Amino acid sequence: MNKTAVGGPAPVRVVGLGNVLLGDDGFGPLAIEMFRCKYECGANVDILDLGTPGLDLAAYLYAAELVVIADAVHAQEKPGTVWVCCEDDLTARRAQLRLTDHDQGVVETLGLLRLAGCAPSGIVIVGVVPKSCGLGESVSSAVLSSCPLAVDNIARLLLERGIDCRPRQVPVPPNLWWQRTSDGWNAPKL
Amino acid sequence: MARVSIDPVTRIEGHLRIDVEVDGGAVQQAWASCTMWRGIETILLGRDPREGWVFAQRFCGVCTTVHAMASVRAVEDALQLEIPPNAQYIRNLILIGHALHDHIVHFYQLSALDWVDITTIPKANPGRAASIAGNVSAWPGNSQRALEEVQNKVTGLIGSGQLGIFSHGYWSHPAMRLSPELNLILFAHYLQALEFQRKSCQVVGILGGKTPHIQNLAVGGVMNAINLNSLATMNMDRLGMLQSLLQELVPFVQQAYFVDACLLAASYPEWFRYGRGVANYLAVPDLPVDAKATKFDLPGGVIVNGNLGSLHRIQNWRDQGIRAAVAEDVTHAWYQGEGAQRPWQGKTAPDYTDFRENGKYTWVKAPRYNSQPMQVGPLANVLVGYASGHPLTRKWTDNAFNRILSFQGSTVTPEALQSTMGRYLARAIRSAMLSELALQHWQLLTDNILKGDDTIYNPPQFPQHEVEGVGLHEAPRGTLSHWVVIDKGAFSNYQAVVPTTWNASPRDEKGVPGPYESSLLANPVADPAKPLEVLRTVHSFDPCMACACHTFDVNGREIAQVKVL
Repeated sequence: MNKTAVGGPAPVRVVGLGNVLLGDDGFGPLAIEMFRCKYECGANVDILDLGTPGLDLAAYLYAAELVVIADAVHAQEKPGTVWVCCEDDLTARRAQLRLTDHDQGVVETLGLLRLAGCAPSGIVIVGVVPKSCGLGESVSSAVLSSCPLAVDNIARLLLERGIDCRPRQVPVPPNLWWQRTSDGWNAPKL
Repeated sequence: MARVSIDPVTRIEGHLRIDVEVDGGAVQQAWASCTMWRGIETILLGRDPREGWVFAQRFCGVCTTVHAMASVRAVEDALQLEIPPNAQYIRNLILIGHALHDHIVHFYQLSALDWVDITTIPKANPGRAASIAGNVSAWPGNSQRALEEVQNKVTGLIGSGQLGIFSHGYWSHPAMRLSPELNLILFAHYLQALEFQRKSCQVVGILGGKTPHIQNLAVGGVMNAINLNSLATMNMDRLGMLQSLLQELVPFVQQAYFVDACLLAASYPEWFRYGRGVANYLAVPDLPVDAKATKFDLPGGVIVNGNLGSLHRIQNWRDQGIRAAVAEDVTHAWYQGEGAQRPWQGKTAPDYTDFRENGKYTWVKAPRYNSQPMQVGPLANVLVGYASGHPLTRKWTDNAFNRILSFQGSTVTPEALQSTMGRYLARAIRSAMLSELALQHWQLLTDNILKGDDTIYNPPQFPQHEVEGVGLHEAPRGTLSHWVVIDKGAFSNYQAVVPTTWNASPRDEKGVPGPYESSLLANPVADPAKPLEVLRTVHSFDPCMACACHTFDVNGREIAQVKVL
């Protein structure tokens, strides 16, 4: 059993990883913002844009019940392909997984939390294959068009585990501040 | 002569390559190379300075807060805009929370395993370990039971035959010398540290609205509405939560982290002799205690040639010296142009070649202060404070020296702090200072609010002519400065001179190497295939190369490569 802070249900965290300033690397924050706008969840579900936290991830995974991570995934697949991997996939692929720029990433953080006895009970990664991660680029149309599929997968993963998650009656407009340029809004059509 | 190339250096934030030439068991030459482009500032050109900080805090994934803070300070400096005392204290508490998080993560997760050999832990006697730890600290996590639990976990991990996340350590290296009991004590705190990292994030989150990427800043102050009668704002409840978190965090810093750093220093005294490198130090004043930012709780200044008597104080952020002294040289960096430019005139136009040790070899520019390389970071912070006679710095530095003397009988001086071990110790000294200041700044904020002051913001006014500003912050890794030019209410130039740029600086046009490079000279290397000693010195700086990109790779590229050429 996980330790909880105040005795309520252990938190569920839906987190987006990636840098919003770098094109498709910003898939994670984009996906969780879209998720927040389309679905509403119980009070124990935190939806967090964590950027590129490296080992600082530990503080956000600490003692959670379930963590769903949205992130860009490198694979020999078409850009926009959605991957869903669970923790066993991660562990089995241990030698083949790598965060390109943070050595201390998800796998290391999980191992560390597990040893300390405060790892999340479950973890799922909803990934998308990026097309381009250039500075100041918008998210590519390939990744953008896969976003709804990724978002619905996040909702499905929560529902399958009995976690409160419902489509909103009226969707909330997304706050994609990073898509704003000095010339005005450049927000993608969603 | 062996050429060793470590690419990437692991257990750091970001991407760094170190090349060293080893002869006679010691480093003869060294090159530091950042293998990722660092020109993210260009994204800010033309933008509204009031929202610059929102973008600036995405420069790096780890040090988000510090870039947000330097950005608002730069704009406020350009506008000569004061911020209310409440805003100073709220910002200071955020900065302290962030710094404590950073320093704890660095000491335990990013560097302890260069010194702590976990494979000896099954041999430790937990009773003896508890008594060693109990003699030097009142930390409740040192009980025999707590240590036995950790020992069982490690024994289980080793017994499983799979070290998992620890499989890349240089275990049983001849330079690993702690007793099994000390290894057990430090590793127990390594695991306990996770809980306190979380608490320091919560401090930032309560004040910043969210962490990472705080939401409460504004050019001119903060957006934390203060109303003691409202549930939704900064009220006594929230101040109370903040105080309890700080009261839990402080003992870990003072009784576990600080004591561990002293134990480590006492156990590896020879590391006070290596890694001195560039002995010019720069620290800027921080944690202002008044609206005009004339008084600071952390002093700033410049020390040259390792001589504490040479201290030149930087009194405040309007100091003209630093504005005139800083320039960046691109002779050996992958940018167009030659020689040095002041940041306000700085350009970031890439000019990539391969790694050429006599030509261009890194994405990091070479910042210089009056043409000299400078070392920045907690060591600079502590030396400047010590040389200034700053009571809080003296108190914790002397406390560390006395502890080391009582543990092992070896004398440490401010002179000896200028070393690889000195950087680890200085970071712990700074953390202890900050833990004390955290409670003081909480009190300043609470007293000011109870006095009836609920001001949080002074609105900025942008002139039609061009103005320049610099935002200074003594960040966890050292002096950070954002240099902005604002024209008609938009950024026309933006340059960030970050701590790791100072420390990971390449050679300049005169061929003078930067702090990482020169600190590695004469560093011992017992086995070039396992360059643990090189990592100790590099990690002592807490490297943070711009952590700009972050993706999974499912194709099986190597995790790290140590090439012996």
